[in-house]
Amino acid sequence: MTESPGEATRPGTFARAWAKAVSGTSYLPMTQAQLEALLHRLTGQLAGALLAEPFDLRAGHRVGAELVAAHIASAEGLGRTVEVIQLRLVRDLGLVAEDVEDRMARLLAAVATGYARALRDRTLDEQESIRRAAMMARTQAERALRASEARFRHQATHDPLTGLPNRTLFTERLTAALNEPGRGAQRMGVCFLDLDRFKVVNDSLGHQVGDRLLTTVAERLREALGEHLVARLGGDEFVILVEGASGTDAVVEVAESALAAVRTPAVVDGHELQVTASIGIVERQVAGATPSDLMRAADSTLHWAKSAGGARWALYDAERNRRELARYALSAAIPAALERGEFYLDYQPLTSLRDGRLLGVEALVRWRHPELGVLRPDSFIALAEETGLIVQLGGWVLAEACREAEAWSSDGVEAPFVSVNLAVRQVHRPGLVQEVRTLLRQTGLPPERLQLEITESTMMSSAKEPVRALRVLADLGVRIAIDDFGTGYSNLAYLRDLPVTELKVAGEFVAGLRSPAVGRTDERILASLVSLAHALDLTVTAEGVETAGQAERLRAIGCDAAQGWHFGRPAPADRILARIR
Amino acid sequence: MQRPDWAPDTIDIERPSVARMYDYYLGGSHNFAADRAAAQAMVAAVPEAPLMAQANRAFLRRAVHHLAEAGVRQFLDIGSGIPTVGNVHEIAQRIDPESRVVYVDVDPVAVAHSREILAGNDRAVVVQEDLRHPDRILAHPDVRKLLDLSQPVAVMVVAVLHFVSDDDRPAELLATLRDALAPGSYLVLSQASDDGRSEDERAEAERVYRRTDSPLWIRNRAELTALFDGFELVDPGVVWVPQWRPDTPESAEDAERAVFMGGVGRLGD
Repeated sequence: MTESPGEATRPGTFARAWAKAVSGTSYLPMTQAQLEALLHRLTGQLAGALLAEPFDLRAGHRVGAELVAAHIASAEGLGRTVEVIQLRLVRDLGLVAEDVEDRMARLLAAVATGYARALRDRTLDEQESIRRAAMMARTQAERALRASEARFRHQATHDPLTGLPNRTLFTERLTAALNEPGRGAQRMGVCFLDLDRFKVVNDSLGHQVGDRLLTTVAERLREALGEHLVARLGGDEFVILVEGASGTDAVVEVAESALAAVRTPAVVDGHELQVTASIGIVERQVAGATPSDLMRAADSTLHWAKSAGGARWALYDAERNRRELARYALSAAIPAALERGEFYLDYQPLTSLRDGRLLGVEALVRWRHPELGVLRPDSFIALAEETGLIVQLGGWVLAEACREAEAWSSDGVEAPFVSVNLAVRQVHRPGLVQEVRTLLRQTGLPPERLQLEITESTMMSSAKEPVRALRVLADLGVRIAIDDFGTGYSNLAYLRDLPVTELKVAGEFVAGLRSPAVGRTDERILASLVSLAHALDLTVTAEGVETAGQAERLRAIGCDAAQGWHFGRPAPADRILARIR
Repeated sequence: MQRPDWAPDTIDIERPSVARMYDYYLGGSHNFAADRAAAQAMVAAVPEAPLMAQANRAFLRRAVHHLAEAGVRQFLDIGSGIPTVGNVHEIAQRIDPESRVVYVDVDPVAVAHSREILAGNDRAVVVQEDLRHPDRILAHPDVRKLLDLSQPVAVMVVAVLHFVSDDDRPAELLATLRDALAPGSYLVLSQASDDGRSEDERAEAERVYRRTDSPLWIRNRAELTALFDGFELVDPGVVWVPQWRPDTPESAEDAERAVFMGGVGRLGD
């Protein structure tokens, strides 16, 4: 069939009606004019297909697919297309064919089929592409999550100042090293490092300089000990984990490298800083160790290095640790022991070298420990001094000594004075004067029968208060003795200010009197001390006198009194007093 | 609970995405069951929803066409969503293949999909960012690489501002973008409006979108006009989107059924 000129406008009429029918059924990325142009072209194809001989299904399929490709792609789009073709195509285009109804049915079926196929493919493609996009997004999100978790974990396990692993990571690694001996390591080591006097840097140069110094130290440790884990635990504390140590020597070597790394002077903000460190080393077999025990051991070992003067390492010693722990436990038990009355006093005679008379006695505390038996002061006094419990214990000793001594005067016999040691803390404590006054009043002990022994180190502080307190006590009539004279700094300046009655010369000078070679020097020192004391109007008591020979020579020097085994061992008061009764 | 800043997005396709719901309204199949369920609920509440989306998409097409014809060669499409038919780069690059387009969306799936579509097009790129962080968008290396901010740029904020609450200060967000633009740049803006709508319809629509990550913030014509602060409105101003330079007079009929209002503003010299 051929189109007459008058029919040429008809496909345009149809295409416009078609365009109107499908607009709004889905989003069409084109103008109305573009849509009409497209449908005009398809109209021609439909007309051709309807009349073609033989009838070709493929033409209908193509039109359906083209509609979907042009985004006229919805159920409504198809419905309206079928409707408008069925109602208007033959009429608008004036098409004539024998079996036009038949052909129209087959054409619509072909268009619908082509359309549905294309729409299905398109739907499947889009579903696939959005799923792929979701998967990609998920993969990316997971990757980002892992990265941020890694970042978060790094933050949680590292020290922000130095970038070193922190306590958390160190503890993890230490725990892993201890729990997985399968890694072949039989032994391991920990070096607990602390800068010496770091506080001085912080206090004098400021925290910024302190922080930079820490950063420098951290860098050096990391460089020097590359293969071993170096962590900062906080403050100026660092720790090095030595896994798979071949033995103590290997760990000591690590500690020495660390000390050397720290020791090199560092220039921080124009200040040349030379710092040293102390290290506590624990080296042991992996089996049977727990992280907390190990760190506790390293910590106490570090304190050994510190108390030995710093700038050194110390190696953990289980025996020493046990002793310290026992000592610590002992000191902690003092308050309860006081309450239970486990302490008592022995007395050691102070004898006149002139006439052998018993001048006084020194009170010495004893602890009748329920498990350990009787303990002498050297096993618990030093620690009591460290922990401060000495104030309580010393107070008890003073009170007990005053109470017992008061009972000694009877029958007109001149009773000996009682000499009581005062610890530094006791002398420095306000209220000492009041305490002694109250004791004297309560017990009725005459002041001149109480002697307080203080050490030279008590007077080393520049505090005025102790001097004033001792002067008040001296004014009351209490005797003041300097204990262990000659072994401390022997700064004689305090003798000007203090109302001292007596010097007690340390036993080591007396011990020298035994051997003729050393004895000469010691004898001269003793002689000088005696003449110095006498010049100052002080009496001298020699301690640690063990032989008659020593006693004889001391008497020859002019020493006033003596104390020691030669004159009597410490014993309960009644046994000492029995000698004068 | 607020997600910490370091935690990345999680992908949950069980939760409706406004980008994929929009694709559904447009007749696309780039969506999942949860998106379709939410979109169908929206259609039940506001039967015009698909029409709205189509009208808005047609507005976008006409606006891009108009600006490309006016000589604009750079486009920054914020809230671009699923890149279905009639993308900005398709329209703009048909007029000038040298046109450059940066798409921005906050939805990671939409971004992944865009990336796939844009593979091989070195003048169009997608960036995952939020309209609520315009400074980050402007500073993004891909934005800097593709767009020359000393030359005019058309910033498209089409069908996205109704997901930005007043608490996020939309005027300030737009001002940040504006201040980065060269004279001769444009702002294309459209969003859902409640002019002439009942309270019920509005409440129902808002209820549907509360199921998504992006609740609705509907604004009226006066509020929308105010957002063009600093721009000169191009004729015909802020109107129902079908009324903005329609292809044919008929296509602007019943314009208020489109719910979306929009306009185009030009940054003066």
